[in-house]
Amino acid sequence: MISKGLINSKIWIPPVAVFFLGIISVQGQETKKDTLREKEIDEVVVVAYGKAKKTSYTGSVATISSEKINNRPVTNITKALEGQVPGLQAVSSSGQPGSTASIRIRGIGSVSASSNPLFVVDGIPFDGNINSISPNDIESISVLKDATASSLYGSRGANGIIIITTKSGKKGEARVNFNISQGFSSRAVKDYEQVSTDQYYELYWEAMRNGYKSGQVSPQQAAQMATDNLVNALGINPYGAGYPNPVGTNGKLLTGATALWNDDWKDILQRTASRSQVDLDFSGGNEKSNYFFSLGYLDDKGIAIESGFKKYSTRLKINSEVKKWLNVGANLAYTNSLQEAPPSSDSRTDNVINAARVIPSFYPYYERNADGSYKLDSSGNYIYDFGKYRPTSALQNENAAATLPLDKNENREDNFSGKGFAEFTFLPELKFRTSFSVDLVNYNGHYYTNPLLGEGAEIGGSVTKTNSRTLSYTTSNILTYDKKFGQHHINILGGQEFYHYEYQTISGSRSQFSLPYYYEPDAAALLGGFSGSSDKLGLLSFLGKAEYDYQNKYFLSGSVRSDGSSRFSPENRWGTFWSVGGSWKASNETFIKDLNLFNQLTLRASYGGQGNDKLSTYYAYQSLYTFYNNLGEGGTVASKLPTPDLKWETNLNLNVGLEFAILKNRIKGNVEYFQRQSKDLLFGMPLAPSLGFTDYQANIGELKNTGFEFSLFTTPIKTSDFEWNVDLNLSTLKNEITKLPKGSIVSGTKLLQVGGSIYDFFIPEWVGVDPNNGNPLWKTITTDANGNTVEGTTSEYAKATKTLQGSSLPKVMGGLTTSLAYKNFDFSTLVTFSIGGKILDTDYTMLMHNGSSGGRAWSAEMLNRWTPENTNTDVPILSTTTNNWTSTSSRFLYSGTYARIKNVSLGYTLPSDYFGKLGLKKFRVYVHAENLLTFYKHKGMDPEQTLDGTTYYRYPAMRTITFGLQATL
Amino acid sequence: MKNLKYLSFALITLFSFISCENDLETAPTNQADEAEVFKTAESAETVINGTWAKFNDDGTSYANIGYSTVLRASDAMGSDVAVLTNKYGFPGAYAFTDLVNNTGSRPLYIWNSLYSVINNMNNVIARIDAAEGSQEKKNQVKGQAKALRAFCYFNLASFYQFSYLKDKNALTAPIYTEPTTTSSVGKKKASLEEIYTLIKSDLTDADNLLQNYTRNNKDKIDRSVVNGLLARVYLNTGDWTKAVTSAKIARNGYALMTAEKYKDGFNDITNGEWIWGHGQTQEQSGESYAFHFLDVSSSGSYYYSFMADPYFKDLFDTNDIRYSLFSWDGNPGREGLLRYAKFKFKANLIADIVFMRAAEMYLIEAEAEARNGNVTNAVTVLNQLKSARNTNVYSGSLTQNDVIKEVLIERRKELFGEGFSLSDIIRTQGTVTRKSYTNSNGQAIQVQVTTPAGVVKTVNGRGHTIFAFPDQSMFVANSRYYLFSIPQKEIENNPNL
Repeated sequence: MISKGLINSKIWIPPVAVFFLGIISVQGQETKKDTLREKEIDEVVVVAYGKAKKTSYTGSVATISSEKINNRPVTNITKALEGQVPGLQAVSSSGQPGSTASIRIRGIGSVSASSNPLFVVDGIPFDGNINSISPNDIESISVLKDATASSLYGSRGANGIIIITTKSGKKGEARVNFNISQGFSSRAVKDYEQVSTDQYYELYWEAMRNGYKSGQVSPQQAAQMATDNLVNALGINPYGAGYPNPVGTNGKLLTGATALWNDDWKDILQRTASRSQVDLDFSGGNEKSNYFFSLGYLDDKGIAIESGFKKYSTRLKINSEVKKWLNVGANLAYTNSLQEAPPSSDSRTDNVINAARVIPSFYPYYERNADGSYKLDSSGNYIYDFGKYRPTSALQNENAAATLPLDKNENREDNFSGKGFAEFTFLPELKFRTSFSVDLVNYNGHYYTNPLLGEGAEIGGSVTKTNSRTLSYTTSNILTYDKKFGQHHINILGGQEFYHYEYQTISGSRSQFSLPYYYEPDAAALLGGFSGSSDKLGLLSFLGKAEYDYQNKYFLSGSVRSDGSSRFSPENRWGTFWSVGGSWKASNETFIKDLNLFNQLTLRASYGGQGNDKLSTYYAYQSLYTFYNNLGEGGTVASKLPTPDLKWETNLNLNVGLEFAILKNRIKGNVEYFQRQSKDLLFGMPLAPSLGFTDYQANIGELKNTGFEFSLFTTPIKTSDFEWNVDLNLSTLKNEITKLPKGSIVSGTKLLQVGGSIYDFFIPEWVGVDPNNGNPLWKTITTDANGNTVEGTTSEYAKATKTLQGSSLPKVMGGLTTSLAYKNFDFSTLVTFSIGGKILDTDYTMLMHNGSSGGRAWSAEMLNRWTPENTNTDVPILSTTTNNWTSTSSRFLYSGTYARIKNVSLGYTLPSDYFGKLGLKKFRVYVHAENLLTFYKHKGMDPEQTLDGTTYYRYPAMRTITFGLQATL
Repeated sequence: MKNLKYLSFALITLFSFISCENDLETAPTNQADEAEVFKTAESAETVINGTWAKFNDDGTSYANIGYSTVLRASDAMGSDVAVLTNKYGFPGAYAFTDLVNNTGSRPLYIWNSLYSVINNMNNVIARIDAAEGSQEKKNQVKGQAKALRAFCYFNLASFYQFSYLKDKNALTAPIYTEPTTTSSVGKKKASLEEIYTLIKSDLTDADNLLQNYTRNNKDKIDRSVVNGLLARVYLNTGDWTKAVTSAKIARNGYALMTAEKYKDGFNDITNGEWIWGHGQTQEQSGESYAFHFLDVSSSGSYYYSFMADPYFKDLFDTNDIRYSLFSWDGNPGREGLLRYAKFKFKANLIADIVFMRAAEMYLIEAEAEARNGNVTNAVTVLNQLKSARNTNVYSGSLTQNDVIKEVLIERRKELFGEGFSLSDIIRTQGTVTRKSYTNSNGQAIQVQVTTPAGVVKTVNGRGHTIFAFPDQSMFVANSRYYLFSIPQKEIENNPNL
C-alpha cells in the first residue's frame, strides 16, 4: 500500500514540481488548525526533565508548534523563532546561508559570559550545531523563561532554555510525507544611495583642492594642482583621452565630458539566488513501538556570488517498550553540510558584500581601453580588472568576481547526534530513567587562494586546511516518584548529570602551488605553518525537584541543583542553585466557574537562581603564558593574570504571570512580568593598558533586567469553512546596572554605571558643522579653574567629551500573526516589529569619508557638504586629510524602529477526491515570501541588527520567495 | 526478572557515578602555567623569546604589525618620505592626524605593545633569581630582559615627549618595574629624567650581565645591541663622550657593507653590517608586511606607499651608490612618483626587519664627536661611511654647526626608511620640511618616465601632498603633532595618570 503510493507519487510529482517551480514544505499535519488550537486548552508542554500541563505549570513556558516553524523557508530553527515568542529576541545579523540567528531570552543577563540559551533536544542538552537540526523533524518547541522552568538545568540554563521535541511515529497506519520547494532570494533592503561618476569627480576635485590649500599653497595653485592630479589620485580617467584633466580649475566637469562606462559592481558580485529543499519522512507505530525516519536535502544559495549552504540530513527515532518495566528509545541524527562562505563581514578588503558597496562605478570590472572599449585576451574574452592602479580605498588588487570562482572558502561539517534512554518502571509510581546523549561535530575548513589571479598570484596561491573535532556528551540518571493520595498529588525527582566537552583542532597552511586547479596542500611547495590545540571542559551536577498539587487547583514546586564547573578553581568550583514556584488554577474554583466568564484562569509565580560560568575561556582561574615561538626556539608570553577567586555568576529570576481564556476560548491571553537579577556579574575588569594587560576576569557587580510580556490569541471569525485568527505578542525590556565596584566602566561604545544600562551609548555628541569653516563640531564638557563645568565645542575629535546618547535597547518588540483559512485556501502573515532603540551605523560611515579615503564610493548625502555657499549643513567640508568626522558620534546614531513583513504564506489544499485514488491523503501547493517588505527610516541599513546596536559590514538579509508542494500518503 | 531489573539499574548507576569529578581538573594545551614557565632559567628564557616574537609579529591590523609600526610611523611623519595618501596604512601619520588622535587604534596598539613587553620583562626580572639553573644562564636571561625593558622605555621617552635636552623634567609615561597583579593600579607619569635613569641603569646592568654571552642569532640581545642602545640613549641625553664610547663598542665586529650590497634590498639579517634585527621565515612572517609600504619597486608590493620626496634625491651626489636606487615611476596610476628602491621583498613576500646597523653607530659617533667639539674626529668618522657608499667625502667648513648639519643630512640619506625621521626631529628640536614639487610659477615640474610598455613620456613629477598640520598651521619645531598620544583607554582606566 505504502510502496504503491510511493511509486505513484514518484511518477506523478515531478511534472507538478516543474509546473509550480517547486515548493517548500509544511508537514503533513493531519490535525486541522482549529483542533490544534483547541488542544492548547489542556496543552501538555515539554519542560525540564519531563512534561507538564501548561495551564497548571508554575513556570513560564511558551510553545511553538511545528506548523509555525514549517510555514517558513528557513534553514535553521533560530530564524524561525523571530517574532514568535514574547521575551525572545532572535536577531539575524547575517544573511549568509547557513548562519544562525543569535537568541536572547529576557535580555542579556551577563556581560562577559555567554548569553546564549541552552538547547535541549528530546530531554537532553544539545551541544551540536543548531543548523544540523532540520526544521522538518521538529514536532514542537518550548521556550522556558523563568526559574522554575529552567533552574533544573542549573548553570546550563541560565540564559533560558529552548526545548526541541522531534517528531515520533504515531500509532496506526504508516505515513509518508513529501515536500519539495524551490525559491529565489534577493536583497531584502536596498543598499545606500551613492553619488554618480560626474558628481564624484567634481567632489573629489574639491577635496583635493581643499587639501592642498595651506600657508605655502595659494587657492589658485591648489585648484591647478587638483585639476592636474585628479586623474592620478583616483587612478583612472573614465572620460577618455580627450579629457586628460576632466575637471577644470573652476571645479566643474569640462563641457562635453561624459563617463564612458558605468560599472555597478553589484552586477557581478551579487545575484538572484536559488533555494531548493526536499524533505521526505516515514513514520508509524504499533502498541509497543513507534518509529520516525526522515531524509532532507537543502541547497540554499546566497545573494553574494559563490556563497551558499548545502545540507543533507537524516534522522531515525525509535521508541519501544521492550518489557513491561523497560522502555528504551534511540534518536540518531546525522547531517552533512557544506557552507561556501566567501568573506562577508568585517572591514577586510576581500569582503564580497563590502566590495559591491565601496567600489564606485567608474572603476571598470573588466579591463577597458581609454576609449571605453573592452580589452580582450587572445581568445577574445573580457579580462577582469584588478585595479592595481586603484587607491586602497577602492580595493586595489581585488576583483572578487574573478577570484572567488577560482578560490575556495568552504566549511564542511559532519554532525552526528545520538541519544538513547532506558526507563525502568520499578513501581507504577517509581521510575528511573538513564539517558546518554552525544554530539560529535567534525569540522573541515578549506580555504584556498588561487595562484592565477589576484593577491595569490604573487605567492603562487595558498591553502589553509583546518580540522576540528568537537565531542560532547551528557549522561543523566533521574529517579522519579509520582503518586496521588486522594486529592493530593506529589511528584519528586532526583538525579545526577555529567557533561563533558572536548575540542581538538589542527590547522596547516602552505603556499606556492606549482600548478593551477590543484587545491590541496600536497600540491603546494612551501609550508606556511602548522598549529593545533585541544580543550576540555567538565560540569558535574546533582539535582532534585518536588512538586505538589491539591485538587488540581493549587500547585507548588521547588527545585535545587548543584553544579561543579572545571572553569573555576577547586575552592570556588561548586555553586548551588534553586527555585520555588506556585500556581493557582482559579478556573477550577467553583466561584470562578459560576462567573461563566473564564474558560481558563491561572495565576502563577516563581523565583529562583541559576548560575552562569560561560566565560569565553575554559580556564578562568589559572595564571597563564601563551606559547609564542620565535624562529624555531620555544617562546611564551603572559596571557592571563591569576584569578583564583573568580566564581559563579548568579541569575535570580522572578516571574509573575496570569493566563486566561474567555468566550469559549476565542480569546486567550497571557501576561507576565519578570525580573531577572544577575549577581556577581562576570566581567573583564579593565586595567590601565600600561599595566600590560587590558583586563582581567572578575565578579564585578549586579545587573537587572525587567519587563512585561504579553500575548494574545484571538479567533474573531470561525465558521465551518472560514476561520480567521489574529495573534499578537509584545514584550518590553529594561536593563539596569544596580551595582559596580567603581564609578563607571567604559566598555566599547557603552558606559556601565549604576543606574544606567549596558545598552547606553557613551559616545561624543555631534553638534554640527561649523558654518564659518565647514569643520565638524563635537561637544566638550570641561571643568574650568573655578571648578565650574563648561560646555563648548571642538573640531578635534580626540578632544570631544563622551556623553550618554541613548540606548540601543528597543522599548517594545513584538510580532503579529494573522491567519485565514477559507475552504481549501490558507493564508498567513507574520509581521515583526521593534519600536525604539538606536543603531550606530558604522557601515554607512564607510561611504561618508570627507575625501580622506579617495576612491571609495560616496553616499549621496555627501552632495550636501559644506561649501562657502552651503554653510547650513551637517556634512563638513571636503578634504584629503581626515577630520575624523566619521568617528563614532551621535551623528551616526539612527532610529532602530522598524516593522518587517517577515513571512507571508498562501496555500491551497486540493480537494481530496482528486487524489484519494492515488492513495494521497493530502496534497497542498503554496507560496511563501520571507522578509517581503521592511518599513524603516534610515535607507540602506538593514534595521535588524544585534542587540548592542552596532553594525559590522554584515551580509544583508535576504528576501526569499518560495513555491512549494506537499503531499502526504 | 525482577533481579534483572534491579541488576541493570545497579550497573548503570554504578557506571554513571564512577567519579566524574576528576574531569573537573582541566588545563589548556596552548598556554602554560606560570609556575612551569619560571621553573628553570631555560624555561624562563622562553618568555624573552615569546615576548620578542609577539612584539614583532603580532598586530591589530595590517597597518599595525609589530614594533615596525613605530619605525614606519616615524618616517611617515618626517620630511623625506612622500607617503601616498590614497594607499592604506600611513596617510594619517603622514598628515599628522593619526598619532595625535588618542581615540585611534595606532596610539593604542603602540602603547599596549610596549607596556606588554615591559610587564613580561618585569616578570622575568622578578622571578629569574628563584629559578633553577646556572648563574651564567640566569645572567643571560636577566640581562636580555633588562635590555628589552630599557628598549621599550627608550621608545616611550623618544616619542611621547619632546627632547630630553628641551626639558628633562617633562612628565612622559608611567614606570613599572614590578610584575602586574590583579590588584595593581596604574601609575602616574614619570619625568624624562626618571625614565632615562631607569634606562641607563638597566642597560648598564645588561652590559655587565651579558659579558660572557654569545648569541646564536641576531634577533637576540647581546653586548653589541646593548651598547648600540646605550649610544642612542646618550645621544638623546647629551652624554657625548659616552655616546662615542658605546657606539664604538656596538659596531665592533660589524664592518660597513660594500657599496653594491646596499642595493640588495635591506631584507636580510645576515648582512654583516646589521647588529640587530628580526628574522622572518615562511611561518613567522608577520612583520614582513612592513615591506608592502616600504618596497616601492617589487611587483608584489601591495601599497608601495613610501615614495621618496623628489627634493630628497637632490641631497645625493650622482656617484653615490644610493643615488642609483632612484627612478621615476611609469606604472599606471603611479606615473611621476619617485621610487627609492632601498627596500625589496625577498621571494614569497617575506623580508627581515632591520633595527640597528653599524652605519648608525658611525653616525652617532660622528654626531657626538661634533657636538662635543671634536669636529675633526667627527669628519673622519663621517667620511668612513661616505666612502663606503662611494659618495664624495666631506671637505667643507669645519665649524661645529656645519659639521653637525652635514652629519644629520647623512643620517637622513643613510637611514631613510629605517625609522629615524621623527625621533631625530624631536631629538634635535628640528622641524618637518615639505615643499610641493612645482616650479616658481606653481606648475608641476615635468619628469620623464618609462611605461611598462616601454614608452617614454613626460609627466608631472609628484612629491609631497601635505604641507601643513591638520589645523592648517605651518610645520614648526616641538609641535604637539610630533608626539605620540597616550591612548584614551589609558586615560579612562588610570586614575593616577
